[in-house]
Amino acid sequence: MNTVALAGNPNSGKSSLFNQLTGLRQKVANFPGVTVEKKSGKLQLADGQEVNLVDFPGAYSLYPNSEDERVVLNVLANPSDENFPDVVVYVADITSLEKHLLLLTQIKDLGIPSLLALNMADVAERSGMVIDIARLSDFLKMPVVAVSGRTGMNVAALRQAISDVLESATRADKTISPLYQPTLVEQKVASEAQQRLGIENPYRALLTAHHAEKLPHLKKDEKEALRRICEAENFKSLPLQIAETMRRYELFTPVLQKSIARKADKPTRSDRLDAVLTQPYLAPIIFFFIMFLVFQAIFAWAAYPMDWIEAGFAWAADTLKQHMPVAWYTDLLTDGVLSGLGGILVFVPQIAILFLLVTILEEVGYMARAVFIFDKLMQQFGLNGRSVVALVAGGACAIPAIMSTRTIGNWRERLLTILATPFISCSARIPVYTVLIGFVVPPGRVLGVFNAQGLAFMCLYLLGIVAALGAAWVFKHFVKSSEPSWLMMQLPPYRLPVWRNVWQTIWEKTSAFVLGAGKVILIASMVLWALASFGPPAKMEAAQAEATSIAQQQHLDETATADLVAAYRIEASYVGHLGKFIEPAIRPLGFDWKIGIALITSFAAREVFVATMATIYSIGSTGDEATIHDRLAEAHNPQTGAKIYTTATAASLLMFDVFALQCLSTIAVVRRETGGWKWPIIQFTFMGALAYLGSWMVFNLLS
Amino acid sequence: MTNAVTQLKAGFGGRISHFTDERIAGKLMTMGVLPGSEVKVIRIAPFNGGYYLKVDGINVVVRHNEASSIMTTSDFE
Repeated sequence: MNTVALAGNPNSGKSSLFNQLTGLRQKVANFPGVTVEKKSGKLQLADGQEVNLVDFPGAYSLYPNSEDERVVLNVLANPSDENFPDVVVYVADITSLEKHLLLLTQIKDLGIPSLLALNMADVAERSGMVIDIARLSDFLKMPVVAVSGRTGMNVAALRQAISDVLESATRADKTISPLYQPTLVEQKVASEAQQRLGIENPYRALLTAHHAEKLPHLKKDEKEALRRICEAENFKSLPLQIAETMRRYELFTPVLQKSIARKADKPTRSDRLDAVLTQPYLAPIIFFFIMFLVFQAIFAWAAYPMDWIEAGFAWAADTLKQHMPVAWYTDLLTDGVLSGLGGILVFVPQIAILFLLVTILEEVGYMARAVFIFDKLMQQFGLNGRSVVALVAGGACAIPAIMSTRTIGNWRERLLTILATPFISCSARIPVYTVLIGFVVPPGRVLGVFNAQGLAFMCLYLLGIVAALGAAWVFKHFVKSSEPSWLMMQLPPYRLPVWRNVWQTIWEKTSAFVLGAGKVILIASMVLWALASFGPPAKMEAAQAEATSIAQQQHLDETATADLVAAYRIEASYVGHLGKFIEPAIRPLGFDWKIGIALITSFAAREVFVATMATIYSIGSTGDEATIHDRLAEAHNPQTGAKIYTTATAASLLMFDVFALQCLSTIAVVRRETGGWKWPIIQFTFMGALAYLGSWMVFNLLS
Repeated sequence: MTNAVTQLKAGFGGRISHFTDERIAGKLMTMGVLPGSEVKVIRIAPFNGGYYLKVDGINVVVRHNEASSIMTTSDFE
């Protein structure tokens, strides 16, 4: 099957067009060897033939400045790459075409059959812009189609043009003269590289010489040969790149000036909005207000669907228990599989709503402004303005947030962002905060207006942010880098979001969470179920007998008896033994073995904590957080009779939850993004040590 | 007279004559910030923060050190 690539600058509206062309038939994978996301889909052409459409990451040129851009070079410089396109559809924003054609002229000189899609034609039309398509097409020697990814205008014509180019490509003249005429040095180096490596196209040979060190498909001896060729010819890569870039602009700028007629420039609505939204002192205040609204909306809107999901799973478990025989497999199904599934799906509303709002902010163009506003502040912590996007998304879930760091070109800044992000309080911490905050802060109002517990909630979030920045600051001193760091980016004009893109993103991210993180949580909850259900047989039976006899003495009803038996059994189970084993280590923090069990289990996924506590305190039959709180409040130490959940213990536990990396999925993602176990292990140890220290200090201060 | 962009006040601009740092120049040029482009300073973030520029009608943000390598001629308002 033929491969058609969609290439173009960032902000050219490529993804809208991609969604228009492929609809929902998309596949998300990674480009080989890197974590840069690759979207592809089947595209049906006018003549009925199907092609594989690959959405390349946005890039400005084949002289890359980020991981995203490097992928484009790596593929286009290597004709045997699996993603190497038969045809490139180059997408350019018609409203700023003068700045969007550089990469196209490079692709054209590589001899890859191409066509130009002038995107946002609807916007151009409205602003009274007129463009001479025939002249442009004549200059570039390729079909040019004005389209709109937003409205779908002319998408059929684009399909037709793609099949035309595909058809003529098979019998095209490969020796078509390049746009850019290389200098003498470039010619020499290119022709030597052509001979040595057997490269057909001279411009590809030139690019290969420029990027010899970093092209993954080259063999060691080939790199060495290229290095020697460049040295012999005194080939200075950077100045030559700049001269080539300048020459290309000089070639196409006059043609564009003749082809485009614009109305006179006047301050746009975007400029007027920016006067307020990027106003030096107002901007941070507006940003925090918007974030406040976003998180308010998440809590307010997600509460209902979350209740439904919880109720639904509880009902399903009850029904199964009634209709299936009392046996271990029924328990596995209800307490292992179903509760695991519920634990995953209950977070879907929060994650979906967060992505809805963050995607809207991104589509509208606001996130780019936030990057600008916070760049200076972020630099103090060794981060980049672009880190803001990850830190905000970390408020829902660290996993997609960490994946979003690939737009940060500097490896050190990217790594620090990855290390900082899991400190941001994610949605899975919310249930734990909810249960424990009651022990630390009595309900009531502060200064007559603010809800005291709500304020405490906010303080925990702030603590997470402070810890994230602090961690980045600490690691800044240990991670060295000679790579240059930069801000340099375009701010796209504010635009209404394309809803199709928004839904597409939510669908993708949410299903990635359910399938990716979900798998881990599901497996962990089944392992957990096994560890909590089985133990040394003799001890398990003894526990069962003891609980039953106590229940009879106290004349407990059926549910209470079952809960009591469950509590005794979990103590005698393997997980109970594990809890008692680690008790000495966590006693200085004010935790007993029961909390130990809950901590162990919550390393699989935080949200398991509350459910485990419910089981241990023999209220497994209720999922209600208020009930769990009341029961914890009654818990006493059997030896001393003292209350276990004192202010000190609860505060200590809260500290632990703020700081510790209790999430297998995050560890897995960090391993993938950093390419090894080194960083996830360092991160896990660092966060664990901080959690231990923080808990110990708080416990000793308060008790 | 040539001025670095960092010597301009918000609201002022000029035509880019050259860049003083090759590496930064390489990156800026791929985004279409070129010698000969018209540049205007729209806003300057406080505490030596970034510069919000308009270059040939396109919004570009750069850091202070990046802006200081962009040299301009002929101020205009």
